[in-house]
Amino acid sequence: MSAFKPVLTQHIYQQDCHTLPFYQSVGGYTALEKVLTMDPEDVIDVVKNSNLRGRGGAGFPAGIKWGFLPKDMVKPTYLINNADESEPGTFKDRLLINKAPHQMLEGMLIAAYAIRCNLAFIYIRGEFYKEAEVLEKVLSEAYAANLLGKNILGSKYDLDVIVHRGAGAYICGEETALIESLEGKRGCPRLKPPFPALEGYLKCPTIVNNVETLSNLPHIINRGAEWFRSIGPEKGPGPKLYCVSGCVNSPGVFEEPMGTSLKKLIYENAGGIKNDNQLKAVLPGGSSSAILTAEEAVTLNMDFDSLMDAKTMLGSAGIIVMDDTVNMVQACLNIARFYAHESCGQCTPCREGTTWLVKMLTRMVQGGGKAGDIKMLYEITDNIGGLIDFSKGSFGKTICPFGEAVAWPIRSFVEKFESEFINYIPQQETVA
Amino acid sequence: MPFIKIDEKEFEVAKGTTVLQAALANGIEIPHYCYHPVLEVVGSCRMCLVQVEGMPKLQASCNTLIGEAPSNKKLDGKYDMVVNTQTDVVKQERKNILEFLLLNHPLDCPVCDQAGECYLQDYTFKYGNAHSRFKEEKRVRPSEFLGSNIVINQDRCILCSRCVRFTREISGTNELFVQNRGYHSKVSILEDKPLENLMAGNVADICPVGALLNTDYIHKNRFWNLDTIPSVCQDCSAGCNVDVFSQRDEIFRLTPRENHDVNGYFMCDIGRYGFHRFEEIERVNQPLVRNGKSFDVIDWAEAIQKTADLIEQSNGKTAGIVSPFHTNESNFLLGLMINGILGMLPAIQAEEITYPYGFRISADRSPNQRGMNDICGGLAKDLSSEIKKQAIRGLYILDDGVDRELDDAWKEILANMDFLIVQSYAMTDLSKLAHIVLPGLAPYEREGTITNDQDRIQWLRPSLSIKAESKPDWEILMLVNNALNKKAENFTGLDDVIIKMGEQFPNYSGITLFKIATQGIALNGKKM
Repeated sequence: MSAFKPVLTQHIYQQDCHTLPFYQSVGGYTALEKVLTMDPEDVIDVVKNSNLRGRGGAGFPAGIKWGFLPKDMVKPTYLINNADESEPGTFKDRLLINKAPHQMLEGMLIAAYAIRCNLAFIYIRGEFYKEAEVLEKVLSEAYAANLLGKNILGSKYDLDVIVHRGAGAYICGEETALIESLEGKRGCPRLKPPFPALEGYLKCPTIVNNVETLSNLPHIINRGAEWFRSIGPEKGPGPKLYCVSGCVNSPGVFEEPMGTSLKKLIYENAGGIKNDNQLKAVLPGGSSSAILTAEEAVTLNMDFDSLMDAKTMLGSAGIIVMDDTVNMVQACLNIARFYAHESCGQCTPCREGTTWLVKMLTRMVQGGGKAGDIKMLYEITDNIGGLIDFSKGSFGKTICPFGEAVAWPIRSFVEKFESEFINYIPQQETVA
Repeated sequence: MPFIKIDEKEFEVAKGTTVLQAALANGIEIPHYCYHPVLEVVGSCRMCLVQVEGMPKLQASCNTLIGEAPSNKKLDGKYDMVVNTQTDVVKQERKNILEFLLLNHPLDCPVCDQAGECYLQDYTFKYGNAHSRFKEEKRVRPSEFLGSNIVINQDRCILCSRCVRFTREISGTNELFVQNRGYHSKVSILEDKPLENLMAGNVADICPVGALLNTDYIHKNRFWNLDTIPSVCQDCSAGCNVDVFSQRDEIFRLTPRENHDVNGYFMCDIGRYGFHRFEEIERVNQPLVRNGKSFDVIDWAEAIQKTADLIEQSNGKTAGIVSPFHTNESNFLLGLMINGILGMLPAIQAEEITYPYGFRISADRSPNQRGMNDICGGLAKDLSSEIKKQAIRGLYILDDGVDRELDDAWKEILANMDFLIVQSYAMTDLSKLAHIVLPGLAPYEREGTITNDQDRIQWLRPSLSIKAESKPDWEILMLVNNALNKKAENFTGLDDVIIKMGEQFPNYSGITLFKIATQGIALNGKKM
């Protein structure tokens, strides 16, 4: 395979790369022109063939998701661009919004056309106020150029796009909580079924896609599904943005093919571990993924299936690197605090369990560890997020995957760094 | 129809039923908190998780719909779904959820009003752990008033959100919401919009734990001390079914009783707190006869005889005034006794209120207008002019027990009568004008049937004993009638009166108290 050339971030270092004239000068909106002459079903087929999997975290195949829409639609369909990027360690969507917003908008247009939607939303994280301003400008440019609005490029296809700012809740990145929030309600995930493809925004069929997923679409249309599938593993191919942060020399977003080795990302792209310390652990897919020890990390490739086999996940590809100076118990408490703060509070296990974990870990860190605490940590995480048995898929005790998102990392911290946790239990306690 | 198996029970259920509904309807208990039959399913308490064969993880039974499986995919060749509610995994999961719910619970059952009828208590006893593993400090939060009658004990709240959904879906008033997020969530109100609506009391009833409480009842008694009598609310003609809770002749509270043909699961606050009106009334306890400006006490035999004499002497010029507040039986017997015109005083009307869910407070704030019209046959339309036209000289009044402003025509009539006989339990304005006052029974003491405005006859049952020398109203009327007419029938009980009533008014034939039971009988389209 020849050296990989960035696709999504190809132009981000150039001046004015966020403007419409620039984007058009590098072939922007040609995919849209092509799509507008196609049958929507054919667009869906191309995306299905490309094996494009959602880049938001769950990795669900985008084309298949679109295929869940009811065939004989009476109600309007909505497209929501999920730009509520709030997974700790993840900052790829912000880059795409800032530097390649028209690429994302073109992707939205393609998706909207494919699912026959005439009103789309960009649900953007509340803290991204600058990015929201960028998007407003981008939309006005697009409206002025007849890329949005009525009769787009003379194709009789209409689409309006609305930017909706969130209010700073992590849970609103979950698609049904996002829809609730968009409807003006409290951002609590909905019970499924029904899934949004059948009953989403205002009980109408709705598709929610991530910024990066949508940004891939113009390239798939222009270069074909074959090309896309040739990048990285067959089952989840394509270019991928990796966010590397933590104890590395040059943290940042790096575009590499799906399935790039974690070792390369940490040591080449991100310039290796800070202060020449030793790698200790890596969270490969944001704080919701199970942690990997250094030994595991250096052997793994970053794609959906390899990481699933290693009992963790690609998630949002927010790679958080920890070196040997990191105290794993305190890191674990940090993550637990985040989830306790962000739990929406509707399901009992998540609402009560997350804070229980925080209280317990805080007590341990403050020197109050008790015999049996470690066993309790295992049990509480199991009770929140279910028995982690990937082979049977028997996890999940809450309405949304937030429960698992707490349970996986915390349980893995305890499991893989148990000795550090044991150190927090005073000697007399362990004897007693 | 899907054929399913839950534990060892097999049955058919309608398509689209949830597993929880099917189980509850077939006598299988699945513990649950957030599910309520008339509220939107939210599936948040996670208490009702069960194992459904073929599904990898536990399912919330409140949100698992039962459908038909294709014939080649039936389990064991015949079942559309097989559910287990008693496996070790399910039992363990219930323990886990209860552990979470009890983490910050104060365990103050000894001083909690819900104790004895608390689902947290019951389920913990039945499904939970005996010991807590929680070693941290419990969260303590102050109780708050949500409205003038409802207080929330935040420490006991399990955030099932039934109350929030109630104000959204049933009362449509939207006062309650969940404030803050996660661990800090709490049921709350906006400062300027407290929980003040006429259905507010219901939130305390649907609260499965001791979080929401009626200030009217708080710390007054324990659930197990109270006698429960199923009866009917008497504050409007909707006739909501209620349970009356009393101890030693004192009513402590009213709660709605489920009846899908009348009130569903709810009642309004007018009825809920209405019983207090009768606590401090000036009761009439003995028969009274006028002596100048005051009354003399007489005994019953004398009072009955005097009444009969007055009616007899008037030579058919006595009119009867029936009451929509009295039972069918009392009104019917007055009709039997009076050999002249019958009528009623001006009706008591208020605003009709209908809530989004369909719950209704009738404009007619008397409980038995329909019944009274049914069994009095031809009430005078304009009683006051009829009285003048027919030169009526005496009135026998079944008193409503409710004081009201009467117009001048009525005042003149009452002032100019030769005699007024008032059968009442209270010293009302009418009683004060009477020549003879015959002490009847107050609401919650009286028994009989009443007919609501949807033509449903219901059994009004007493919860309080008869005070002093008062007698049941139907008995007084029977005694007077017997004194007037030696051939008149002697009724031994209410059922006798109802049979007699049925002979005269076919719509009421074949009815007995036993048949009315707790749910009542619809008179239109009556099936016996």
